[in-house]
Amino acid sequence: MNLPRPTRKTKPGLAVALLLLCVATAPHAGAATESTDLPDWSGQWENVGGTPDATGGFNQSLEQVLKTMEWSPPLNPTTRAKVDAMQAKERERLAAVARGENPADAVVACTFGYPGLMLDTPLMFEVLITPKETAIIFSSREIRHVYTDGRPHTPKDDLWPTPWGDSIGHWEGQTLVMDTIAVKDPFGPPDGGGAVSAFGDVEGFLTIGILTQQARYVERMRMIDPGHLEDQMTIIDPAHLTAPWHMKRIYERVVHVHRMVYEDCEGEDRNPIVNGKFTLAPPPSSK
Amino acid sequence: MRRLLNRVLIAVIAVTALLSAHPVPAHHSFAMFDQSKVVTLQGTVKDFRWTNPHVFIQLLVKNDSGAEDEWSIEMTSPEHLVRVGWKPGTLKPGDKISINIHPMHDNVKGGQYLSGIGPDGQPLIGTPVPSQAK
Repeated sequence: MNLPRPTRKTKPGLAVALLLLCVATAPHAGAATESTDLPDWSGQWENVGGTPDATGGFNQSLEQVLKTMEWSPPLNPTTRAKVDAMQAKERERLAAVARGENPADAVVACTFGYPGLMLDTPLMFEVLITPKETAIIFSSREIRHVYTDGRPHTPKDDLWPTPWGDSIGHWEGQTLVMDTIAVKDPFGPPDGGGAVSAFGDVEGFLTIGILTQQARYVERMRMIDPGHLEDQMTIIDPAHLTAPWHMKRIYERVVHVHRMVYEDCEGEDRNPIVNGKFTLAPPPSSK
Repeated sequence: MRRLLNRVLIAVIAVTALLSAHPVPAHHSFAMFDQSKVVTLQGTVKDFRWTNPHVFIQLLVKNDSGAEDEWSIEMTSPEHLVRVGWKPGTLKPGDKISINIHPMHDNVKGGQYLSGIGPDGQPLIGTPVPSQAK
């Protein structure tokens, strides 16, 4: 199934209709794929461009990150204005933080979830494929469940927005096609505030409130060579977007470590706030 | 350049946030570091504390009077460090190293690790390896 890419001549409504038609008619209503037909994506993966360095920062400029992210959400004018205003407020706050002012306001907490960890994860992950389900397991111990047993989405009466939404999928050859709905606060809270801590990287800053909880996400994940996975994502959100929003991510095999290492996001208080400012609190010696 | 530094700071803060916490009273930030300054420290490793959420180098550095000050140098998490080649045994007590850091705003003896030269005179690992398939 090739999803239509909108052109300037493509009407948003038509593009959405075509996309939904493609999803609806995809051959996924049958039984689960035989295990012998499934690909082997074992190993650890990391987002190209999301590999951190020893400082905790990224190994490329934000301009490069944005380029990698193919960052061009087709926001409608109303949403654009709202997002611009919230981002301006965030920029002021961050500028103050950069000057050493109000540092305690810089970080409160982080919220994991979809689609951030797929699009922009600094965490490594594994992909566990079984005939009836594919699980994407992050080092933070978050698990994304994608059911491939032919089931439809959870009925509306039994569905509510959650950080990872409701994902079903099917295999088209060696490509896993995933369909996700009911994602809670995608890209952070709709009214901004704490956006920097939404899920990391510049995307957390630039994505304040750009999507609604009615957004639908269609992904096509495949192995493009033994060292790389590709995930093509299309986001459909007529309430905020004028057209389907296409992005692509490449994940590469982790080189230096061949097992999952726990990323303890509940960690200890390394930077306690004292008199309104962050401080350093090294852990006790383990010796 | 200033704009780039600010953007990098934004990313660093954001990434730190991601790696930091669920909504619990644990705080993580690089806001206390002066991103506009780089200080080089030459000293002796007292301890290499390989812990979540952040790894620390405790470094003994001689001050102007000849006495040793203990500096706390904050790094990223073990999960990130192993991906760029660090191990719990990369540094050992007694190792003589030279490191570059962003110092604290308030002149407390601490900082954010940037890069370094190990006891063998070679650069300490820290730069991600190029993309490569195995």
